[in-house]
Amino acid sequence: MAINDLYKAGIASGWKVLDAATFTAPRLLEADVAIIGTGAGGGIAAEILSEAGLKVLLLEEGGLHTSDSFQDMDEARAYRELYQEAAARATSDGAIAILQGRSVGGSTTVNWSSSFRTPPRTLAHWASEHAVTGHGEADMAPWFARIEARLGMAPWAMDPNPNNAVLRRGCDKLGWESHVIPRNVRGCWNSGYCGFGCPVNAKQSMLVSTIPNALAHGATLVHRVRVRRLDHDGKTVRGLTGDALGVDGYTATGVTITVRARHVVVAGGAINTPALLLRSAVPDPHERIGRRTFIHPVNLSIAEMPELIEPYYGAPQSIASDEFQWRHGATGPMGYKLEVPPMFPGISAGVFNAFGDELKREMAALPHTNAMLALLRDGFVPESDGGRVRVAKDGSPVLDYDMTDYVWDGVRRAYLSMAEAQFAAGARRVRPAHLDATYYTSWPQAREAIAGLPLKPFRALLFTAHLMGGCAMSDDPARGVVDSQGRHHHLSNLFVFDGSVFPTSIGANPQLSVFALTAQNVSALKPRITG
Amino acid sequence: MPIPEPRAAVDPSRRHFLKIGAGFSAAIACTALFPALTGCTPADAPPQPGMAFLRPADVRMFRALLPAIAVDLAGLDAAAREARLAAALKNIDGTIAAMDQNGRTELRKLLDLLDSTPLRWAVAGVRTPWDQATPDQVRAFLARWRGSRFATLNAGGVVLVKLASVAYFVLPGTWAASGYPGPNPAVYRALHS
Repeated sequence: MAINDLYKAGIASGWKVLDAATFTAPRLLEADVAIIGTGAGGGIAAEILSEAGLKVLLLEEGGLHTSDSFQDMDEARAYRELYQEAAARATSDGAIAILQGRSVGGSTTVNWSSSFRTPPRTLAHWASEHAVTGHGEADMAPWFARIEARLGMAPWAMDPNPNNAVLRRGCDKLGWESHVIPRNVRGCWNSGYCGFGCPVNAKQSMLVSTIPNALAHGATLVHRVRVRRLDHDGKTVRGLTGDALGVDGYTATGVTITVRARHVVVAGGAINTPALLLRSAVPDPHERIGRRTFIHPVNLSIAEMPELIEPYYGAPQSIASDEFQWRHGATGPMGYKLEVPPMFPGISAGVFNAFGDELKREMAALPHTNAMLALLRDGFVPESDGGRVRVAKDGSPVLDYDMTDYVWDGVRRAYLSMAEAQFAAGARRVRPAHLDATYYTSWPQAREAIAGLPLKPFRALLFTAHLMGGCAMSDDPARGVVDSQGRHHHLSNLFVFDGSVFPTSIGANPQLSVFALTAQNVSALKPRITG
Repeated sequence: MPIPEPRAAVDPSRRHFLKIGAGFSAAIACTALFPALTGCTPADAPPQPGMAFLRPADVRMFRALLPAIAVDLAGLDAAAREARLAAALKNIDGTIAAMDQNGRTELRKLLDLLDSTPLRWAVAGVRTPWDQATPDQVRAFLARWRGSRFATLNAGGVVLVKLASVAYFVLPGTWAASGYPGPNPAVYRALHS
């Protein structure tokens, strides 16, 4: 059955899509609004501003990869083409692996489709602690509703796959809260391949929703261009300078792209957005750029189940638990949300991090393997002030993220919760993803062993798929890079619309938070820059 | 053969360095730890033909690492084994080449350290050249680094295992070993019919 690729027909009908790898001479492009990045923030901004009649230019560092190339449903191809640093991005010390998207559509092209509203307690915390205005629960509700309708978000109506069913069963047995995850899909085939690019265009990523609509409204998309710097005089931005990348997606070809724009929107996501502002020497008198970068540190627990799990098939995330998320309010000991990841062979090898006969056994057991993960909610107390983005000599981003005792305490409690839930769900044996852990065959044995695990970088295997902060919003210029509406505090026509504006982590998978906040802030901006 | 802890263990000033050292520092490879020793490859040595990042010495090291990590390689006939090694090496190379400057620089230091005979012996406990090292010797090295109380060595042991094992198990030829039947059959059939 042929799936309509969208882009082939669109380009044939006149969409302006340019691959910078094909440029052989310098280019000068002009626009009303230049948007850097085509992920959750850039995609929403492009749709709203192009519908308003503005001349919009979208710039993307990654390539344009569409459903035709996703139909191999292949893990290696996806990591190579759709993820930052071929899915090998990590914190500067290598201790925390970072999964972040890098193609047209950004992380929305490869995320697992979980679509949560920003928790009300997170919004209240931003208002009371970070001088954020206009984004309370009631302010945001219509924007969440608008995005949910736009992108087909609804609680998953089918049965959870066996991997997610383990989490629900464990929670039910223990009397813990759990809930069905809303997903941004239309006509989902329940294949399980969200992370490799949806092969049937069911996931309502920016790639298949807002960006095609923006292109239909006359926007221009240039992909495989790396924005080197914003060109500004300390008061306003007049445009930007970028480098075309070759067909390998990484090597600059030497062709320069210059953009002149009345307004510039930065939407490269946390890590890349602050790095661009740092490279551009944007005014930063309080040295806020790159600070307070949050990642929802993730630790995992692996269980061997008696039943067939096939943790690679079916909607990857459909059940979550907030049992341990808000127990002590927003600012008590670290809270965490429990979910499961899909386990394909490559990502599984990375999570097992074993070798020899042990790795052979673990890989062979994959069809019966359940993995559980905890998203640790960082950034709500002084003992969790996040990481810092800086730039390497060549201008590329570097993220330093130090684990604190406060965060490690959350890691240990999360290991305990996950093992308890897995045993309650019937696990034969459970192993925390930690170098010093072995398989435990009962909850009491696991509880005792986990209590003694040394919690140190590299011994505890840590991951993140949620990058947030680094260009925090705050109406207090001493505490934020942009104000609550995403306007830069010092450059009058520069705006940041992406997850880097979050003053803390979200406490849930962040895509809907980025979509809704961007829609609200772009809509506030629109009347000021049109007409 | 009992291998002593790396020599850094006895020197308090080095301990401090290793504690604060992020990843694999240049110091461990070429300067502070063994200032009298040379052997670090020149920074401009070219990659092996067909590779974007890996140099011939790195390829030798990963060729020793892969069969130690993925033991089912031993059960293949020579041609199949060679094809799979080549495909995994290509994946490792592509992954490192795609890393930003920080990651590439740290990996380069680690690989140069492991290429230098005196450093490999002193820090990794592997006396033989990589192309003569047995899987058991390689596994002993990995276990020692991962069991060390030095985060820098833990980092090396974790990163090498991750690079090699992920590059190997994404290969379709290995799916039987992980019980993965391949792309969701009903969906794949419908898309490709």
